[in-house]
Amino acid sequence: MQEFNYHRPITITELKECLSIPGARILAGGTDIVPRMRQGKFSVPALVDTSGVKAMRFIEDQGSEIVLGALTTHQEAADSPLLQNINPALVTAAESIGCQQTRCRGTLGGNIANASPAADTLPALLIFDATLLLQSLEGERRIPLEEFLLGPGQTDLLEGEFIHSISFKPMIGSWGAAFIKIGKRSGMAISVANTAVAVELNDKGKISDIRIALGSVAPTVIRCRKIEQALLGKEPEPALMKEIHKACQEEISPITDIRSSAEYRNHAAEVIIHRALESAVEQAKERGR
Amino acid sequence: MKTITVSFLLNGKKTSVTSLPNRTLLDVLREDLGLTGAKDACGGEGECGACTVIMNGNPVNSCMIFIGQIEGTQITTIEGLMEKGEFHRLQKSFVEAGAVQCGFCTPGAILTAKTLLDNNPHPTDHEIREGLSGNLCRCTGYNKMIDAIHLAEQGGLDD
Ligand SMILES: Cc1cc2nc3c(=O)[nH]c(=O)nc-3n(C[C@H](O)[C@H](O)[C@H](O)COP(=O)(O)OP(=O)(O)OC[C@H]3O[C@@H](n4cnc5c(N)ncnc54)[C@H](O)[C@@H]3O)c2cc1C
Ligand code: FES
Ligand code: FES
Repeated sequence: MQEFNYHRPITITELKECLSIPGARILAGGTDIVPRMRQGKFSVPALVDTSGVKAMRFIEDQGSEIVLGALTTHQEAADSPLLQNINPALVTAAESIGCQQTRCRGTLGGNIANASPAADTLPALLIFDATLLLQSLEGERRIPLEEFLLGPGQTDLLEGEFIHSISFKPMIGSWGAAFIKIGKRSGMAISVANTAVAVELNDKGKISDIRIALGSVAPTVIRCRKIEQALLGKEPEPALMKEIHKACQEEISPITDIRSSAEYRNHAAEVIIHRALESAVEQAKERGR
Repeated sequence: MKTITVSFLLNGKKTSVTSLPNRTLLDVLREDLGLTGAKDACGGEGECGACTVIMNGNPVNSCMIFIGQIEGTQITTIEGLMEKGEFHRLQKSFVEAGAVQCGFCTPGAILTAKTLLDNNPHPTDHEIREGLSGNLCRCTGYNKMIDAIHLAEQGGLDD
């Protein structure tokens, strides 16, 4: 096992100071970083253990926004009645991660900072236009999650910065939001494809707002603006599958890798978008009653 | 690399260990504290659950936790499940139902099952399968574990 200097801050000020050490990295749940360090795939001069920083572990309704501390675990998100009401797609996504052992340790901040194209909480955050609050000794800034994700494992995080919290606005009116993932082995599979869809219906029952995010089909999890455009204003009916098929061909070009082929991913993406849309529409109709 | 001293509650007892920070909870349990119930069956990838311990009421893989991360926590290992010289009802029911074969996965599976029953005293078969999905077993085919958990849920054998 590699060597590193170990730091365990308690306050956010101490955390900022520890992270100003050149090359320092956060150790949050450790579900990603510990196995990778053990395999020698990754080395750091300094690890900053956040297990003592209680102030970054919360789920809060701040009126116009829901704010999630970056150290919130997947299990805490999955068990939150507040999130179940405001973003059921995020609850389903958090529930789908790994097994219980992984969910009890893995954090939302770690899932985001990892920037895996297959990360499961990201689609459910992207459809709510989530924003990140980044902090460092220098100060703080807000950045939309979509702009933060630059490529596989690459983000806009600067040296010394960390993700403090994630926030998004609740949807209002007749809305619904759903998450669906396809993996090879249920329980702990990395997604072959995943999607989150949020929809709002107007009083004529037409789609007045739609947001679709897809994972595992591009270098980052992406918002599918072309598919969204194609569906906006339409009546949510089974025939929409054709529109989804057409727009999907234009929108995505997945790759073939050890987990799946491009062809399968393309087909899977269309099918899960359709299913997630159906589920979101059902919720929206329920709310509209 | 400097050593660190970490204090936590281990099986109900105040415990303090001094270790290099690049060792996992699993390493320290097995090598320093002589508690070999938690095992490594996947090379520390977080895939098998043989290293499961209970941390603050939740099942966690001890192979993915650096020792510094357990400061101030409560850890229960399989060695701490016995009470007053009596095996825990899950330990008895696992034996009774034939859910222990080679035994490599057993400590982890029993600890996960304990957290499951603590939160949900009467789980369905589906909930048990979901709950135990992080504990791989190459011997029992899982059905016997489900039987064992139902047996324990009904009050176990004699308590
Ligand atoms: C068995 C297993 C199954 C898994 N299944 C899934 C799955 O189904 N879906 C899925 O999406 N993922 C899965 N994962 C991956 C992993 O569990 C998640 O990505 C998890 O959310 C990572 O969070 P963590 O807190 O454990 O991160 P850590 O390992 O602690 O950190 C990961 C990276 O993020 C950085 N980081 C962490 N927090 C912050 C912060 N607040 N600010 C800045 N940087 C930060 C760290 O420095 C590090 O580089 C699985 C992992 C395992 C071992
Ligand atoms: S040794 Fe396999 S999950 Fe820890
Ligand atoms: S009893 Fe042998 S691995 Fe489970």
